[in-house]
Amino acid sequence: MNKLVQIFSSRRTWAWPYILFMAMFVILPLILVGVYAFTDIDGHFTIRNFAKFFTHSEAIQTFLYSLMIAVFNTAICLLIGYPAAYIMAQEDFKTPKVMAMLFILPMWINFLLRTVATVELFNMCGLPLGEGALLFGLCYDYLPFMIYPIYNTLQKMDNSLVEAAQDLGANRWTCFWKVIVPLSMPGVYSGIVMVFMPTVSTFAIAELLTHNNIKLFGSLIQDYITTTDLLNYGAVLSLVLLIIIGLTSFFGDHDSKDEEKGGLV
Amino acid sequence: MRTFRLFFLGLVGLLGSLLSTALAQSNLTYELRIGATRDVALLEEFPESFAGEKVNVTLANGGYTTFGTLETPDVLKPLDFFFADLPSPALTAWGDSIYSYTDAEGVTWTVWRTKKEVKNRGQKVFRQNAYTVFETYVQDATSAPARSTAWLGWLCAGLLLIAGIVYAVVLIIQRRREKNLSSVEQEILRRKRLGMRRHYGSQLYLWLLLLVLYAPIALIAVFSFTKSKILGNWTGFSFDLYLNLFTGKADAGLNSAIWYTVVIALIAAVASTILGTLAAIGIHNMRARSRKAVSLLNSVPMINPDIITGISLFLLFVALGVSQGLATVCIAHVVFCTPYVVLSVLPRLSRMNPNTYEAALDLGATPAQALRMVMLPELWPGMLSGFILALTLSVDDFGVTFFTKGSGGLETLSTFIYSDARKGGLTPELRPLFTIILIVMLAVLIYINIRNSKQEEK
Repeated sequence: MNKLVQIFSSRRTWAWPYILFMAMFVILPLILVGVYAFTDIDGHFTIRNFAKFFTHSEAIQTFLYSLMIAVFNTAICLLIGYPAAYIMAQEDFKTPKVMAMLFILPMWINFLLRTVATVELFNMCGLPLGEGALLFGLCYDYLPFMIYPIYNTLQKMDNSLVEAAQDLGANRWTCFWKVIVPLSMPGVYSGIVMVFMPTVSTFAIAELLTHNNIKLFGSLIQDYITTTDLLNYGAVLSLVLLIIIGLTSFFGDHDSKDEEKGGLV
Repeated sequence: MRTFRLFFLGLVGLLGSLLSTALAQSNLTYELRIGATRDVALLEEFPESFAGEKVNVTLANGGYTTFGTLETPDVLKPLDFFFADLPSPALTAWGDSIYSYTDAEGVTWTVWRTKKEVKNRGQKVFRQNAYTVFETYVQDATSAPARSTAWLGWLCAGLLLIAGIVYAVVLIIQRRREKNLSSVEQEILRRKRLGMRRHYGSQLYLWLLLLVLYAPIALIAVFSFTKSKILGNWTGFSFDLYLNLFTGKADAGLNSAIWYTVVIALIAAVASTILGTLAAIGIHNMRARSRKAVSLLNSVPMINPDIITGISLFLLFVALGVSQGLATVCIAHVVFCTPYVVLSVLPRLSRMNPNTYEAALDLGATPAQALRMVMLPELWPGMLSGFILALTLSVDDFGVTFFTKGSGGLETLSTFIYSDARKGGLTPELRPLFTIILIVMLAVLIYINIRNSKQEEK
């Protein structure tokens, strides 16, 4: 008993329950995804699931299509979000806080409900549901994730650098491309990561926005993983997604480490 | 300037493309409303895994009909039995034929057998048989002329044109007037105009963006004041949905979903706040290297998208043979909430005087006392913000809950909305519920804003 008290009076050990918990419910499950991917239904080692993935044209095509949609969505969010963040970060912009809040407020409404409402809006305007609706809905859901980090970096940017550039004879255009854009890159990177990752793994939204006409990779995984006999194949698909996520987060980590820390802590 | 001009051009292009879509769809009629589509692509490919599954075709008014149970792997041939249970008159013909009947409320249901083409990069990849149920409004179909959407396109085009003409006229008048001014004065005026244009342009841009962002939400809010079951169908002003919501007359599924959402969010938030605070204290006192390792571990659930977190936990529970339900959902929510608590408590710790805790111990306090009386008062703002963050994350979560809720009928609001939407119609009481949530959030934000600005004044 005394020893136990001694152990726990060192505060370093207070993180142990958490570490144990995380090992059990984060690390172990991720390992299990790999294990299930490499076993068959009876638990024997097999690579047949992988072989199936590479010959399964629907899965490959859906995967590529989802990647494309995610890239498109990220690009659209960047194109729309950057100017918005830039405008809000201008010194003469009077109500940046209110504006930022207005952009974040919709996120408190359940995203599925917003998606359904978007579908209804399209119906009311007589617009067809399909790829356009999908991109609109995705962009609508993830735009705040793009605006916020960019706005944060732009706002923290040292304005004297811009002034210096102007004093040295740069016009607005040069100043924007040579000073502001490079300085805002950390925010852009983390915005890209924050939009790309949820988009590429999205499910449920796509089927609602397109009335089941377009299937994204996330929905495909969902279909397989919830079907008992096909669980192992679903694990393969999840592993593929996990690899993409890992690659993306490395991309984001590389440049936006300090930014993310500044944003979250 | 060129950036803005380019951007303006882009905006016009975007509007133009929207316009052309609207115009292209101008002969679209409105009287058909898609209820639900049963996706049978999987069925064709892995029929054996669907044996014993009930096939529901859902009707847009929220109810659904069970058409039959799949028994044989050979599901493609005997699809006729889908329709065997339908009330008379029975299906008349096959092919792309239509079955339709009128229910007691006078709504006509139409079942189409359609070939859907799932598009992939513009190519037709595979075809699937789908059974789509359309609800036909008899009144609309017979009396009302087909609603065309061309007016929307023409309206946009007309507005754009008028704005363009007005702008051009103003420019010409200005040029005329300034002809006699000296070049310096002209330059001053030009700059002033440029600044103004930039100012109004950027304001316009932001407000347009907000308009688009809020349009669907406004739709929910507006239609929370009408009794109609279907969103977008105005049947007169009424508070009935609000009354239903508060008197518990709403759908039983919705009531239990609200209840579960609250319970799960509270459990997850309390558990993750305790776990996360302890962990933060531990991490703060670690040596640099292990601190880095634990921080990395901490960031894993935050980087993982919810589908991965959900699936991996689902696999864990399957492997352990745990039956999934309330407990598994709570654990899953603690998993993705705790890292945020840790991150909101850590900065508080680094601002704290590290010696006070030691001093309390030296003065004879037990670690528990020292924690309660010395550390907690310093840490609670961080814990509170972590707690609130955990609450919102838990309430808003869909992906993780979806995979860990099991099949015991447990639904949170998110999963309830999802299954509702798949059935083809939203439970109407969801509209007032989220309108209230929106208004409360708006009030909180305004309050925080006013308080902040007052503090700044001081």
